[in-house]
Amino acid sequence: MAYDPALVSALEPDQLVAATKRPYSRRELTPGVLALMVVLRVFILIAIPIVIYAFVHALLTPQ
Amino acid sequence: MSETTLNFGYSGSSAGAEELITYEDVLRARDRLKVLKSRAAKSSLRLLWLLAGPGVLVMLGENDGPSMVSYATTGATYGIGFFAPFILLTFLMAYVVQEMTVRLGAATHRGHAELIFQRFGPFWGYFAMGDLVFGNLLTLVTEFIAIQAGGLYFGVPAWASVTIGVTLVFGSLAFRRYATWERVLMGLAVFNLLFIPAALLAHPDGAALTHALATWGPLPGGFTTAFLTLVLANVGATVTPWMIFFQQSAVVDKGITRADVPQSRTDTAIGAILAAIAAIATLVAAAPLFAAKVDVTQFANGADFATALVPLIGSTGATLFALGILEAGLVAAMTISTSSSYALSETMSAAEKGPARHSLNLGFAHGRLFYGVAMGSTILAASVVLIPGAPLLAMTLTVNVIATLLMAPALLLLLLLANDTEIMGDLANGRWANLAGGTTVVAIAVVGALYGVITAFPNLLPK
Repeated sequence: MAYDPALVSALEPDQLVAATKRPYSRRELTPGVLALMVVLRVFILIAIPIVIYAFVHALLTPQ
Repeated sequence: MSETTLNFGYSGSSAGAEELITYEDVLRARDRLKVLKSRAAKSSLRLLWLLAGPGVLVMLGENDGPSMVSYATTGATYGIGFFAPFILLTFLMAYVVQEMTVRLGAATHRGHAELIFQRFGPFWGYFAMGDLVFGNLLTLVTEFIAIQAGGLYFGVPAWASVTIGVTLVFGSLAFRRYATWERVLMGLAVFNLLFIPAALLAHPDGAALTHALATWGPLPGGFTTAFLTLVLANVGATVTPWMIFFQQSAVVDKGITRADVPQSRTDTAIGAILAAIAAIATLVAAAPLFAAKVDVTQFANGADFATALVPLIGSTGATLFALGILEAGLVAAMTISTSSSYALSETMSAAEKGPARHSLNLGFAHGRLFYGVAMGSTILAASVVLIPGAPLLAMTLTVNVIATLLMAPALLLLLLLANDTEIMGDLANGRWANLAGGTTVVAIAVVGALYGVITAFPNLLPK
């Protein structure tokens, strides 16, 4: 191995690959954020069919 | 040196435990050492040079094939009046959004996909990643359409330009070194500025441009559905989900720390300014088509614009324009495929589905999934472009719809993470950051949703 182990001290401890493998815990959501996430899920339920419709419609439209 | 996990008995972790040092750590440490020496020597320009990269790349990367065609369409349809200052505004919004990813990356040393999975759970983790990777795949198709179109302008057969494009994307990954990859891409991205001499060859009226920037006018034809669609397309050409994921991951891969945030902000601002100048230059270069009343509604790609511009700005200007389109597609193909690699590997890593590492400092043996995603998506997108009769227009339309409709969740998750004081500490959004970020997020989300709906249902509004 042709390098100095002290080189690694140029990294902050939390930057090491091993340190970043320790996961953050799940965030505890406040009622407001929780409501926002529910709204987002509804938005996505509406958005996905629109995306599928757009693709199928574009497929069927002569280029 | 071989790609191995090395145990040096390093005991500098925040937990005080012995850490395993990887080759990836060593490569990143080499880059960091240069930064630390530069900071100690108070060499601010060299420090900025060393820390620049993610911001410039993300902004110039988003000036991709479809975006440049969108700016050219705008210039050819409306001239420079309203849209020159409007493009400046969209890049200001892009800066506000991207600056949050800089702070997130510096504070947490984790990618965006990883953070979403860990802080909001598997549903949002898998959704954000799946949405991004699928959208990126379709976007890659449009980048190869740009590469193919640029090549066709120079008489290069489609299969040859696409093959060269794929080879160059693969070649960039072969460095297996983030720093080299970044510098090579920055060198390529400079060619995005080819639109500036192309614009100068269009002999723009300086007084008209100044008037447009100062007054946001004139707006020929008034407020119509076509105008609204172009406004929304220009927003969609400036702020997209892949940018958020890419810049945060690149900031982490580069090893940016809290102390580097000011330089990283400058990097992002420089990228936004350069990209805005290139975008406005494209608008100006295509404006002679507006003056000559050329109908561009049937133009399919950048090569059509270049060909139509030959009698108006000369063959040199048109050639620069076509080269710019080629570069835009190529650099975007490199950055967007890498953004998919980061997002998918980060999500698999967060889900603990095997040793999914995510860095451009990895060797191929340790980064099979990481490099496999970029290579696989590149080959798939390139192959689709070469299939005779492939529904390319359908894919281009769907890209726009996905990117804009699903921008709202991406931006809201970003804002929530940037306000997460538990992980951000003193880098969390303050009042002003929330005001600027919140306003931008709401504006882009509404505009994006509107654009998605208009694109999906073109007959919803009167023409």
